[in-house]
Amino acid sequence: MKNRNQSITRRHFLKETAGGAGILAVGSGSFAASMGLARGASVGKDPNPFAYDVERLRKTDPKLIHYEQVGHFAGPSPDPRRIVIGPEDRVYIAAGNSVSVLDREGARVMDVGLGTGARCVAVAGDGTIYAGVRDHVEVFDTKGKRLATWDSPGKRTWFTGLAVGENDVFAADAGDRVVLRYDKSGKLAGRIGEKNKERNIPGLIMPSPYLDVKLARDGLLRVNNTGWHRVEAYTPSGDLEFSWGKPSNAIEGFCGCCNPVGLALLPDGRYVTCEKGLPRVKVYSPEGVFESVVAGTESFVENAKATLVKGTEDCRLGGLDAAVDSQQRIYILDLVANDVRVMKHKA
Amino acid sequence: MSPELPQQPSVTRRQFLRNGARVAALTGLGGLLGVMAPRSAAKGTVWQIDPQKCVRCGNCATHCVLEQSAVKCVHAFAICGYCQLCTGYFEPEPNDLNTGAENCLCPTAAVKRTYVEDPYYEYTIDERLCIGCAKCVEGCNRFGNGSLFLQVRHDRCVNCNECAISKVCAGDAFRRVPADQPYLLKTTSH
Repeated sequence: MKNRNQSITRRHFLKETAGGAGILAVGSGSFAASMGLARGASVGKDPNPFAYDVERLRKTDPKLIHYEQVGHFAGPSPDPRRIVIGPEDRVYIAAGNSVSVLDREGARVMDVGLGTGARCVAVAGDGTIYAGVRDHVEVFDTKGKRLATWDSPGKRTWFTGLAVGENDVFAADAGDRVVLRYDKSGKLAGRIGEKNKERNIPGLIMPSPYLDVKLARDGLLRVNNTGWHRVEAYTPSGDLEFSWGKPSNAIEGFCGCCNPVGLALLPDGRYVTCEKGLPRVKVYSPEGVFESVVAGTESFVENAKATLVKGTEDCRLGGLDAAVDSQQRIYILDLVANDVRVMKHKA
Repeated sequence: MSPELPQQPSVTRRQFLRNGARVAALTGLGGLLGVMAPRSAAKGTVWQIDPQKCVRCGNCATHCVLEQSAVKCVHAFAICGYCQLCTGYFEPEPNDLNTGAENCLCPTAAVKRTYVEDPYYEYTIDERLCIGCAKCVEGCNRFGNGSLFLQVRHDRCVNCNECAISKVCAGDAFRRVPADQPYLLKTTSH
């Protein structure tokens, strides 16, 4: 039986003291934690009086959207960069360390390994594949067999777009702000878009590496001059014929510091443009007049977040690219979500 | 029947008081060390914002103990694209790309736009006017290269033991850095 009148010993006293201190410490910790939570809650409650509000720009007027989604498939490899449509409406995507060849439903047909990061791709009418890595172009036959590796033009070369014609290959070098013209053997035949006062060429401005080039049916090249927020048309010999486009976050313009980041051409000469920042895909007339929206910012939730969140997110890796198939369906490659949407004009 | 407890020496009032005094002295010493320790650690350090963590919440403008915040926007020119349409300078939907007040994003007109050559413009910060609201930082980071960012300017900061902004920083971006390396500068985009 325990003696209730037992006097306290030193050991008991110290034990009780330690216990009390422990309880006090736990209590203090809880109090501090609760204060921290309360502080966090108060942070969340306070509206930012200096908020940068672009919410209204993230919603597209439904009347302007003339396309509907008729297909969707995942990207074949991480880190996608460019998409093109080749013969038989095969889909070619430069992603990861390869060019993936897909059928029109997105089923993988073939992978062409490059051994290093694929940046861009173009496919000739005979099915020959031209793949751009950072500093040079590689050529493959229809089976994916390597035919040639071209010399690198320079240390600053950063290929981000390719186009192929009957006799020429045009490589968009964002690092040197120039489109290089090659013959099909890989011999450099000309430089297009460099600043030249005598030829009245203002030069390409590339705040971020998204130089693209397309060869239109009229025989002229279309090049996106992103720093000027416009599309420029050049002859293969390098004369600037015309340009259009204006900087604006509104739907009819090109938003942010540098857009459009990708181009595609419809058979009748109209343009499909892709933007980053406010990710959106639009159609312009051959004269450069805004016509319609293929997919607005609200369609690319993950892509739009690329420039919203803190930390190491890098909007240089955001963006979209597009290609048009023989039925004028527009394939949109989302570089952040790594997927492809197939869009068809509404009836 | 339970065994009888061994006989323990009882504590005298003198022993109890002596022990109590020791415990009180040790507690006091511990408390003093506890109070002094952060000050010793803080010696030679200053507050700074990690630009990679900053979420541009606006609290730097409103929570500094100074009448005008010690946090200012700074510009990493090496990263800047010198854009014609600078989203750190212009409202999201400007009427035109000119310096009209209705087109400018900064609430205090602290960002200055200077023509360099087509299509380049230089943007500089007038720190006398900047209140550290981060509105320009948000615009630049969202659509541009992220060359605008916030830093605590140490010619103004009074280096409070507990920085009032750090207590409410939504991105937990405030931290102490060595006083001889007081800035956390951006060297790459974003």
